[in-house]
Parts: sequence; C-alpha cells; structure tokens
Amino acid sequence: MAEVIPLTSANNPSESFKPGGCKLHPQSMCPAFGALRVLARIEGAQPAMVTDTGCLYGLTFVTHFYAARKSIIAPALGTAELSSGKVQEAANAAIAEAAREPNVSVIPVISLCVAETAGLAEELLPTEVDGKPVVLVRVPAYAIHSHPEAKDVALAAMLRRFIDTGADTPSDEKTVVLLGEVFPADPLMIDGVLRKMGARVLVTLPGRHIDELRLAGHGTAVAALHPFYRESLACMREQGAAVVGGAPIGAEGSAAWLRAVGAALELDEDLVEQVAAEEEQKARDFLATQPLKGATILVSGYEGNEMLYARLLIEGGAHVPYVSTSIGQSMLTASDEAWLRAHGTEAVIYRKSLEDDLQAMDHWNFDLIIGTTTVAAYAKERGIPAMYYTNMISVRPLFMSGGTVASIAVAQELLNRKPMYQQMVDFFGA
Amino acid sequence: MSINLIRDISDTSSFWGASWVFGCFPDVHIICDAPIGCYNLLGVAVTDYTDALPHMANLTPTSIREEDVINGTAQALKRTIDDLRRLGHLEGKHLLVVSTAESEMISADHKKYLASLEPEARFFWSQSLEQDEWLGRDRALRFAWEEYGRPFAADIKPQPKRVNIIGPSLGCFNAPADLHELKRLITGIGGEINLVYPYEAGLAATPDLASAAVNVVLYREFGEPLAQELGQPYLFAPFGVLGTTRFLQELGELLGTPQEQISTFINQEKRQTLQAVWDLWRGPQGDWFSAVDCAIVAGRSYVEGLRSFLGEELGMKIVWSSGRPRREGEPDNIEIRKRLHARAPAFVFGSINEKIYLAEANAKASFMIPATFPGPVVRRTFGTPFMGYAGAAYLMQELINRFYETVFNYLPVETVKQDGPPGSPGAPTSAASSDSGARTMAWTDEATTRLDTALKDMPYLARISASRTLRLAAEQAARAHNLTEVTLDVVEATLAVNG
Repeated sequence: MAEVIPLTSANNPSESFKPGGCKLHPQSMCPAFGALRVLARIEGAQPAMVTDTGCLYGLTFVTHFYAARKSIIAPALGTAELSSGKVQEAANAAIAEAAREPNVSVIPVISLCVAETAGLAEELLPTEVDGKPVVLVRVPAYAIHSHPEAKDVALAAMLRRFIDTGADTPSDEKTVVLLGEVFPADPLMIDGVLRKMGARVLVTLPGRHIDELRLAGHGTAVAALHPFYRESLACMREQGAAVVGGAPIGAEGSAAWLRAVGAALELDEDLVEQVAAEEEQKARDFLATQPLKGATILVSGYEGNEMLYARLLIEGGAHVPYVSTSIGQSMLTASDEAWLRAHGTEAVIYRKSLEDDLQAMDHWNFDLIIGTTTVAAYAKERGIPAMYYTNMISVRPLFMSGGTVASIAVAQELLNRKPMYQQMVDFFGA
Repeated sequence: MSINLIRDISDTSSFWGASWVFGCFPDVHIICDAPIGCYNLLGVAVTDYTDALPHMANLTPTSIREEDVINGTAQALKRTIDDLRRLGHLEGKHLLVVSTAESEMISADHKKYLASLEPEARFFWSQSLEQDEWLGRDRALRFAWEEYGRPFAADIKPQPKRVNIIGPSLGCFNAPADLHELKRLITGIGGEINLVYPYEAGLAATPDLASAAVNVVLYREFGEPLAQELGQPYLFAPFGVLGTTRFLQELGELLGTPQEQISTFINQEKRQTLQAVWDLWRGPQGDWFSAVDCAIVAGRSYVEGLRSFLGEELGMKIVWSSGRPRREGEPDNIEIRKRLHARAPAFVFGSINEKIYLAEANAKASFMIPATFPGPVVRRTFGTPFMGYAGAAYLMQELINRFYETVFNYLPVETVKQDGPPGSPGAPTSAASSDSGARTMAWTDEATTRLDTALKDMPYLARISASRTLRLAAEQAARAHNLTEVTLDVVEATLAVNG
C-alpha cells in the first residue's frame, strides 16, 4: 500500500469538546424509508403506503432509486378523506388493489405520519386478502426518529407474522441468524469462519424472501451485526434463540464475537479459541503496519453502524475523536461506545444533527471526513478529503479480517487524495 | 365518496412545489413545519437527485415530534426561530414558514403567532393535503409577488426590450439547458433579460418583475397566473423548428424588433444551430422518424412541445401521451403501466415510473428517454435542451443515436464468455443448432398469423432480428418435440420464453 501523505500535526485542541449546540437539522434519511427499503426488497411483496402525496412522492422517489424497481400502490389521501374518517377505507382500497397483482407473497401496509395522526386502526384492517397476508408496519417519522430504527420496526413486524414458532431444532444443529443489511460478501465470510468452529450461518435478515423469515425460527442463536435491531432481537429471543452481543469487527471485536458465538452455541472451547486466535492474527498482521497512523478522522453517518466503522479505523491507527449517528443510545450500543471511549474517542453523539457535526469540524483538524451528504459536502468545500458514509460502507465488506482490510484500505486511499481536493477548492473557493 | 388509487405518484404536493420556488431565493430562509422525514426527503435526498444540489442550505424543519402532534407545533417553531437567529442564519434573510401535510393535519396555522414573534416573517399555508406541486408553485409565485413585489412596484414602469423568464425553479426537469436556450433566443432578436424568476432572482428583486415589457413563461404547467397578474403580454417557451420560428416572430413583434433583424437571426440559426436538423432530415436518418413510434409522459409543456415537434414536424407516430398536471382522458399511472406491459413503443419519454414498467415487462427493445421527474437524473449542463432550436437539434441527435444503438444491439455477435444455457442468447451456437437453422420447416396458418401479430407489437427496428430469432426458436422447439410442422402451441410457448 502507498505511504500516507503527511498529515496535520498538533491535533489536540486545548479545550475539550462540548456538544449541546442546537439541533436544527437532524441527519437521517426519512425514518420510514428504512422500513420501505426492507419491505420493498422482499420477493413478491406489494407495498401499500398510506400517506399524503408529498410524502408518497419523496419516499417512492428514493425507494425506486435504491430499494427496488417495484411499483407502489397508495390511496389518494387529502383533507376530505382524512377528516371524514375515510383513512381506513382508503387503506383497504389500496390493499385490495395490491392483492390483485400476480405473484403477491405479502402486502405490507406502511402507515406514515398523516395516517398515524388520523388513527389508522390495525383491528379494522384485514389480516389477509385472497390468501395473501397483510402486515401493518407503523413508521411515522415523528415517532421513529431514524431510518435504521425503522428497518428494525419493519423486520420485527414481518418476523412476528412469519417466523416459524415453536420450531424444533435438532440439538446437533448449531446455527446463527444474522441481523443487518450488510454487504453480500459479509455473511459468506462469517459463515466460512463459523464452519471452522462447527457452526454456520442459518440466514441473514432482513432477507429477500418470506421463507427466510420463517427459517429464522429454527436458529439456535441470533446476532445483530448492526446495533439497532432491538425489537427483532426481542422477537428472536421469544423464540428461544440465544442472543450474541456485538459484531465481528476488527481484530479485537471479531475474536470476542467468535468467542461469544462459541459460548452461546456451546461449541468446543478449544476449537473456538483456535479459530478466534487465527482470525485475530490475520487482522493483526494487516493492522501491524498501522496504515492510518497519524490521521484524524471524523465518522458521521446515519446508517446506525458508524461506531463499528470507527472501531476499525482506530485499530488501523487513526485518531477518531468524534463519532455521530442517527440512532438512539441503547443496550446494543453500549459496548461499542465503551470501546471507543477507551480508545481515544471523546464524543459519541446519538440522534445527531448537522450542527453537532459542524461543531466537531471546527473543534478538531480532520484529515478525512466520512459523513452524511451534507457534512461531506461542507468538508469538501474546505478541501478536506471526504466521502458520503453510506457510499463508503455499502460497497465493501466490513466484518472479520477481510472486512478490516477492505474498509481501511479505502480510507487510506482517500487520505492520499488530499492534493486533489485542495486543487478543486483553490479553483472554486477563490 | 369513492377512494382514488395512486400508483407510483408523479406529481408531488404543494409543500414541495412552494419550497422549490422559495428555495431558489438566496435571501430567503424557509422553516418547514414538518417531521424530519419531510425535511430530509425534500432538502437533502430528492433535490440532490433532481437538481444536483448537495442540500438545500436555506431550509430548516421544526422537526415535529410525538409531543408536538399532541400539543401543537408552536413551541417547536419558536425554538427553531430562536436557534436560527442565534446561529446567524436569519441575518439578511426574509423568513418564510411553510406548512406541510402533517402540520395541516393538526391544524397548525401559525399566521398570527408568527406575526407576534417576527413581524417581518410570513406564513405560507401550503394546502399540501389538497394541492399538487403545480398549484403550490403557482401560489408561491403569486404570494411572493403579492407580499414582496406589488406593494413596492407602483412606480415601476415596463421598459422596452426587457423580458422576464418566469417559472424555472428547483425540481424542474432540464431547467438549466432550456433556460439557457430561451435566453439565447430572446437576446438573439434584441430582447434584454430582465429577471429569471425565481431561479436567478432574489426575493428582494421581486418588484422589478414590473419592469419587463414581455414575459416568457417557461412551462405550461405553472407560471401563467403570475404572468397574468403582471399584466404585460406573455408567451410560452417554444419547441421545434417551426414552433420556435413562430415564437421568435411573435416575440419580435411584441418587442418592436425590426422584421429584418428577426429574419437575420433566424437565417443565422439555420446555418448554425439548425444545420444539423437540416442535414439529418435530408439524410437517411430522417426516414426513420416515420417508421417508429413513441409515448410521452412529461410536464404539460414537454408533452405539447414533443407532440408538435416529433409528431407534426418530423412525422413520428405518438401512440399516446400523458401530461402533468394530468387532464381528463389522459392515462394515469395505473393505465400507463397496463399499456406499457401490453405493448411498449420504440421510445418512451418519461420518468423512472415508466422505466420500471418497461423493466417489469422486460421490454428490452424500447428506449426510455428521461423527460420528467421523478427519477434521479443529472440535467445541469446547457447541452441537453428540449426547447427552442437547440432543443430540436438535440432531440433529433439523441433519437438518432438511439436508432444506431438499436441497430448495434441486433447485429449478430459471438460472445467470448459462455453466459447462458445452450440456445439462450449469448450462448455459443452449437453445430447442431446451426444445422437445424439451415433447414426449413412447415408452419401452420395459425402459427404464422400468431408470429406476425407478435412481431407487429414490437418496435420496428427490433422486428427484423426478432423475426429470425423467434422463427428459429420455434422450429427448434418443434423438432425437439418431433413435430413435422410448427403449430400454434409451439409459437405460444416460444413467445412465452423469448417474447
């Protein structure tokens, strides 16, 4: 790998960072989109959205762009319908139309702000039409707050409806259900390592097929690779699945996670130890060169997995003083936050806003900013190498030793591009 | 009351339309009384895909939360204004507060409350639960004129030669290129650009709308009501060779440009911008236009303009069209989807919705040409106009390049990688199958008729190649079933796989 170009020095502000400015511009995709993305990608799902036209336009726009090339049905909801209690009738009309499509496996009814305010009642909706199951998913933006958490709401609603309950699992079967929209190679990589320990990945959710939801009921353990699948985990726990905490991130995280899987599945301890040590060593061999040493990096996304990525960067030698995310603090975020704070991260901001991130940009001198579109744009305006977090994270593996190499390499390449950013700013900024 | 159904909505709400108008003004800050989703979709996500703006820097939400839905949004509004002021975002800005579907749902009308907080600020009730983006844009334009223009325009008199261009705003497909062409045409015959409103104007400049002698309204779907308010003569932006020539004549007369000057400009254009149209029209490419068909889904201006240029000037068959706002008798998306699934024309001008319907139907022989939103497409250069003389040349060039593409796609090719089961397109042809292709086989009358019908439904340029492919596939299938002739059943089965 190429040498890192000289980085900014003396990067220790004398005053400590005090967040608590105002939160004017919350940074999250519309929360409902998380649910729509998960639901629209299920084979045979015919979504029916219950909402106003502006909401419908924005959400179908982004759904058609990066969820699925799938036609979406909705009732026209205006003042007349909303004020005369017609929201129920409207939802039913859309469900009926959805049921007329060929090859429908499920009709997710996505209830959004105005429908929720009008009081769409679940008990008045059909549970199925012509044998096609109808599943209500409530995702008003004013109550869900972030787009990752809406993925959890959608997945939990689908699991509750479709998971095989009371499923008998053969006692010799050692399987893990993974939760998280991850890069397609990640579950394969994880499965490869688990098999060496005598276990395997059963299924990765949210999947693309109803059968995958059913199958999840047969898992002996469940692991949320992203720390916001609270309701879905609860649902799996009710099925008797053992919950594995954390995610296989970086050298330390991967080894710890493998040991946790081993404990949850009661695998052979010596074998688990051997595989965990191997996996850790592979990552350490790569990290030994400390490819990101000396770089100060800001991590600010709205996907909910920012802390995982920050851990990788830190293991690669970077200083990551500030991490922000759209999700809320919970039991699932606790271990990553503690790890980060023990490794030089001064601020971890939940439910962040643009103002938090800009304040951080003023407080530290960053060599690289991996942020939301808005934050990355501001960084580029200042000539700081920057990338949209979602673009960065969604196109390469993240987990185990393989993910470590892929994810750190791209950060290093970006750091080397500083002159290219600077020459653009010199031209346009003048 | 019956419930109307929507499929893949094409027109957004008046909240969006109004914000896309007000958002153009650098001296305005908008507070939308909205949950975070409305803010993000409009201000950060979608406007990046329609206008290639990283974000709308002058838009802030009140971020309605659950407690605001119950108690009202007044506190959220006050907090937002205070914070904006504290951070200096309101310095030198006119503050506008815009309602959204959700705030209207809970009757959060802040007109009086806002006046008590900020006497200079204005509240815009967007009527987002009833009105579409076109009405929203129109109402925003008139609101700006009524509140910030007319009261200060009493002494402003129209100046000869001055022309306003009304309409271009955020979320308008291809606006930079069409606007550039309009400016070129207007100045080409001696007009002077007064205001490009709202796209290149500040809100403070609004009274100056009154100093134009003529208004050019860029779109038929909105903008006309403001032109009517202004009271000066107005014209709509033109399309096509002959349509643009008529526009130049009319505008020239309104501006008092001598006929000789108008003719000189038009003659110059014939030798420059339009030379490509003349050459292509005379060449073999020109013949293709009468041999292919198209459907058009777009804003009202584009539908009328494309119908007139492609249909009436070039003789292309336009099988159907649907404009926005949609009129009675035009297909809605439910019907458009049915039509595209049943029979896809060679060219479909439209949005991502039509693109999805074509993909669902596996209509690979049809070309979708972006002509409207929704759908992510960058149209920020001046080089892609649909309007004016430059638009005529660009459209002709683009369609012909797609004809070339079609020809290329149907030429025989021998692929290096084997990427399909034997017999599928792309798989190497085995000796046996090429041998079977060389032998002829009898067809029943029903089978022949069925194949002819299927071919008639295909775009013209795709037919020649498809005719051969389907014929060979049917004959091969017949042989595989030890039949001595190709029957109707065999053709149906072949069409089901290859059609």
